[in-house]
Amino acid sequence: MEEKIIIKNLCKEFYDPQRGIVKAVDNVSFSAYKGEVFGLLGPNGAGKTTTLRMMATLMKPNSGSIQIAGYDTENDPRNVRRSIGYMSSSTALYPRLSPREIITYFAELNDYPKNEIPMRVEKIIRYFGIGDYADTYSEKLSTGMKQITSIARTIVHDPPVLILDEPSSGLDVIVAQKIHNYINDLKNEGKTIIFSSHNMGEVEKICDRIGIINNGKLLTVGTINELRTISSKYYLEEIFIYFVNEFEKRVENAY
Amino acid sequence: MKILISLYLKDLLRNKMLGIMVILVPIIFYPLIYWGITQFLMVKSGFEESRKVNLYYRIVDPGFSDLKDSIAAIRSLVPVETAEPETEKNGISLIVTRLNELPRYEVLLDSSNAVHKSFYGGLEEKLTAYYQTELEKLMTDKNYQKEYFRVYNIESVNIEGQNEIITKILSFIIPLMAVISIISSVAAASVELGSGHSEDKTTETTLTIPADRKDVILSKFFTVVIYGMLAGLVNFILLVTMIIVIFKNMIGQVEAGLADFDWGLIINFKNLSISFVSLVLIAFFVSLIFVTAAGFASKRKDGNIMVSPFTAIITYLPLVIVIPAIEPNILIAMTPVLNIAFALKLIISNDLNIAFIAEAVAFSFIWVIVMYRFLFPFLLEEEVLLGYSNTSLIRKIKIKMGKWKKK
Repeated sequence: MEEKIIIKNLCKEFYDPQRGIVKAVDNVSFSAYKGEVFGLLGPNGAGKTTTLRMMATLMKPNSGSIQIAGYDTENDPRNVRRSIGYMSSSTALYPRLSPREIITYFAELNDYPKNEIPMRVEKIIRYFGIGDYADTYSEKLSTGMKQITSIARTIVHDPPVLILDEPSSGLDVIVAQKIHNYINDLKNEGKTIIFSSHNMGEVEKICDRIGIINNGKLLTVGTINELRTISSKYYLEEIFIYFVNEFEKRVENAY
Repeated sequence: MKILISLYLKDLLRNKMLGIMVILVPIIFYPLIYWGITQFLMVKSGFEESRKVNLYYRIVDPGFSDLKDSIAAIRSLVPVETAEPETEKNGISLIVTRLNELPRYEVLLDSSNAVHKSFYGGLEEKLTAYYQTELEKLMTDKNYQKEYFRVYNIESVNIEGQNEIITKILSFIIPLMAVISIISSVAAASVELGSGHSEDKTTETTLTIPADRKDVILSKFFTVVIYGMLAGLVNFILLVTMIIVIFKNMIGQVEAGLADFDWGLIINFKNLSISFVSLVLIAFFVSLIFVTAAGFASKRKDGNIMVSPFTAIITYLPLVIVIPAIEPNILIAMTPVLNIAFALKLIISNDLNIAFIAEAVAFSFIWVIVMYRFLFPFLLEEEVLLGYSNTSLIRKIKIKMGKWKKK
């Protein structure tokens, strides 16, 4: 299987006035393959967003390396950006632009062939069912509409790798279901999708492999069945707690 | 960058609240201008009324002694006959002799004394009228032909008339108002693009397009410059229209004669071109300062706090140009924004001070280099770009300084 994402020994530190230097991401390594949905599962502050931001070249790691679609984020950030579609945890839409305008602008900004842009935008609008509100300012859209527009904007230039930071966070069941279906379709098209969430059910449902992350450390990686076998637990919630406890035990023993 | 600028500009121009604010702020100042102009003119009229100036005169040829009556009729001018008028320093001096059967005047006044200059107009009018009377008398008595006489001509040096006064007033009002409108619009746009985009996380998405971070920041900067210029131009047009249509009549009521002001002195191609270039430069420098300031904040609220002190300083700085006694100097040339506004004032009032303009240009270049070299790199730092909530500004600066030391 073709490795589209290779992360090795990734570390990122921040300074916090109260806590001093904080290791947000601590020696994280994993890979993701073509046509795979890889879920980063962890509570708030676990280091998911920081990992995704480093993958998207928004942040530079203190150490370690990231390769996306064969390009190194440190040495070739421009080609990495060309190969990814990044969706932040917020919808991040320009409030006074319509979905059609935003999607078109991002196709242009991501160097999509100019003459194909109108056709591509129409196709995306149709696929995501944005037509009814395609020309409404995004500030007037509901949260679900904004989130769908945001995903549409992320994939408009047809990148091989998608980095989605909690794409269904705060959405109702129906819209969340729609988004899960889109992610599934994109996976079937051969896209590699890195997906972060703290929603266990969602991760279990749509991810091929899961990485459990807590306090900046990647505790384990595997398919849901592999994780069930190792932990002897069935529900992902229990599996998560098992790995967190196991890790703490290991740390205590080490001291 | 073009696409980004177009995207940012479209979003900004559609922001109705921002637009209304940008247009409204300077309009609020317009009544103040009217009040300022009328107060200035009233004070000026009252000032002239209250002042008495001595006219020390000596009529050498007794044939012209009836000139005394004409001189006595000049308002606020106190005629004092003396044998040695040229030695007097506290008033205007006049010596009247005879040349070719006609009066010849020698007027001595202190050209640096604005009161002397303002009274000279009245005196000149009387002397010219007396000369004409004598000329006509001579032609009648001797049956001379008019064409044999040279036309009476006075060479006026350093004499300020009403047109010059209005030119002076408008030469500080126009740059001042344009600068204020640019400052208010650039401040609002900088907060929206700098801090607002961090708050909305749109910065994150634009930073993942295949472009340099520098290009993203520069696009924001140029968008703010363009927005500031557009707001400046709209306000400039509004201001000029208001001055021509409304103030002209109002000012005319305060001081007779001002309604006939030759607007071509102010509203001409040269001045409009200079104003345009100056407005571009001012928008450039104000944007440079504000985009940098707002870039350090990750929320609109913080952005306003960051920008406020600069807004206050930069707004009050151009007020210096309304102080007539202040001459161009090196300190003004060193101060960004103020130096361009001051140069604009000088050029509109036809006072081309090449040395000052050269200094202003030189210091402007230095400021651009300082900002680009020392402040711009901060904006490219991920802590600043993404607005980490737990990282203080001081810490950001320390991190940056630490990196420089390591290098």
